[in-house]
Amino acid sequence: MQRDLGSFPFPPHLKRKLSTSGFRIVEDLSDVKPTELSKELSISVEEALEIISTVKKSEPRSTLQRGQVRGAVSALELLKKETSSPGIVTFCEEIDDMLGGGVPLAKITELCGSPGVGKTQLSIQLAVDVQIPEAFGGLAGEAVFIDTEGSFIPERAADIASATHQHCKHVAELQGIEDQISAVEDFTPEKILSGIHYFRCHNYTELIALVNLLPNFLEDHEKVKLVIIDSIAFHFRHDLDDMSLRTRLLNGLAQSLIKMAVAHQLAVVLTNQMTTKVNVGQSGISHLSPALGESWGHAATIRIILFWKDNQRYALLYKSPSKKETTVSYQITKGGIRSVDHQQTVMDTMKGTADESDSMNPRKRLKPDDPDNG
Amino acid sequence: MEELDLNPRIVNALLKALDLLNGNCLSKFTKCKLGIGCPILDEFLHGGVLSQGLTEITGESATGKTQLCLQLCLNVQMRVEDGGLDSGAVYVCTEDVFPSRRLQQLIATFHIRHQIDKAKQCALGEKIFVEHVAEKDQLEHCISHRIPILLEKGLVKLIVIDSVAALFRSEFEAHEAFQRAKSLQRFGAQLHQLANKHNIPVICVNQVTANINTQSSSENSFKPALGLAWSNQVQTRLMLKRMPYKLPATSHSSESSDVPNTYEIPVRALEVVFSPHLPRDTAYFVVDANGVKGLK
Repeated sequence: MQRDLGSFPFPPHLKRKLSTSGFRIVEDLSDVKPTELSKELSISVEEALEIISTVKKSEPRSTLQRGQVRGAVSALELLKKETSSPGIVTFCEEIDDMLGGGVPLAKITELCGSPGVGKTQLSIQLAVDVQIPEAFGGLAGEAVFIDTEGSFIPERAADIASATHQHCKHVAELQGIEDQISAVEDFTPEKILSGIHYFRCHNYTELIALVNLLPNFLEDHEKVKLVIIDSIAFHFRHDLDDMSLRTRLLNGLAQSLIKMAVAHQLAVVLTNQMTTKVNVGQSGISHLSPALGESWGHAATIRIILFWKDNQRYALLYKSPSKKETTVSYQITKGGIRSVDHQQTVMDTMKGTADESDSMNPRKRLKPDDPDNG
Repeated sequence: MEELDLNPRIVNALLKALDLLNGNCLSKFTKCKLGIGCPILDEFLHGGVLSQGLTEITGESATGKTQLCLQLCLNVQMRVEDGGLDSGAVYVCTEDVFPSRRLQQLIATFHIRHQIDKAKQCALGEKIFVEHVAEKDQLEHCISHRIPILLEKGLVKLIVIDSVAALFRSEFEAHEAFQRAKSLQRFGAQLHQLANKHNIPVICVNQVTANINTQSSSENSFKPALGLAWSNQVQTRLMLKRMPYKLPATSHSSESSDVPNTYEIPVRALEVVFSPHLPRDTAYFVVDANGVKGLK
């Protein structure tokens, strides 16, 4: 920008110092740091910061205006939009039905559970499933996986990816639809793995920094339809002693995530740990509840609690704006998350697709896998 | 970002995140695996114990927890091609005296099995650094000051803590559950940092506690001690059990005929309770003069 610095409302002594040091137009200040400027002009850092922020403010906000300022949308349009954009399937039909067609886009979904119940497995499964080609009713997207615990294991992701590939291939062969056969050619396990963008955060500062930088990344990678943070709780539970600071940081994080989710129409999946909550009133009685406290409970739109009961994994839809509270069972196989009555469902799928292949919704065909992946 | 005057720590974190965005730090993500040194068990664990995370070995007393740890301490000194990490180990004892006699026995048979020359055999024992701690504060000091020195020098690539439970179970009263959870979390985080920074596996031995509210008989009657606060820190949990049947010892120690075994040895089970990369499954093993051995 060619605007003269003399035209800004700076105090005269600063104007003089600016011009004697050679700063004439706005462009001269474009990549000067406040510390550098304060040294250059021998003024305080605060003054330098003020000069720079005044100049910055006058610039046209091109980046801000794009996408964020939007007119009102009617509820009908919203409904259409929501029903037209499919969710991310989990490959466990019961969980998909519970959520109304998979994990929804433009919302935050939280998976809570004690260690080993399958939070990470479900996350990896979603990161793979978001990439299912459109020919199969998938999103053909990509995923961002933010790992705070270090529990993302590439070989496990490869297992799930190749099972998904096999499954799609199987469906395509069964259907004999050109589109699907050609789509499955492209949908190789290698391609699936390269569509998962992995980040590792070692402390909460890194996590917050990454979430704040993520919009830039998303602009370069428009295909990303899913952001996973596994887990949100890990660093916040031990690093921070100041509880009110923790609440503030977490709420800020949730705000950035929901903003991102809406702006880019992507699903955000967070995993959370469980903690033992002791009821002070009735001493001795305790139960498990999601970690990070009460206020965090408002952050996610959808909250799913995963738990073990009688050697069987269950998922409970605890909070949802559109679906009722339900509990369904699921299992984890080598190929990923599956429905429990595995053999049974496979038989049904095979029979079903053979009989009524035309009438079925293509997304419904993405049912559990053929037995050799199980 | 450069225009802003920020706390240097935040700037560093931002730069690191930027680096990650550009994919500059990929090599740091590659986890390595430490084998147990028994082909059957290594296959069962898909190569062995993962680095950059906490692996917990839990079980009742006399199920072979310490045996497994000792074997890992020896195997970590093998070359990378042979499933080791080509470095030493730190062994933190909190419960008992370090079983050095058993270690010597293992070293002797280890040498026979792996054809390592005598000179290296002496060094096998020298590369295991043993630390006895009796208090939680000592343990903290050990983790935050003493072990990092060894790690910085590259002398060790494995931390074994045998056991975590002993200190944390004894030093807190029943009503101090909150403080205990807090300090367990901090302790877990410290171990995580070490594991990440140096890309090493960390093994923690845990005790078990009776599972009182068992609804059905099929569930375990024991569960690992220290509760959920600790479980959340653990990446892989391995549970050891003694099985009710026994094997004649001779069939399994035939190659080390110098040790006359006439009694029967109990079969033990190694169960993966949870792990990001392993299915829930059980393998069976025995402990003999050679160490831990898987059964087909």
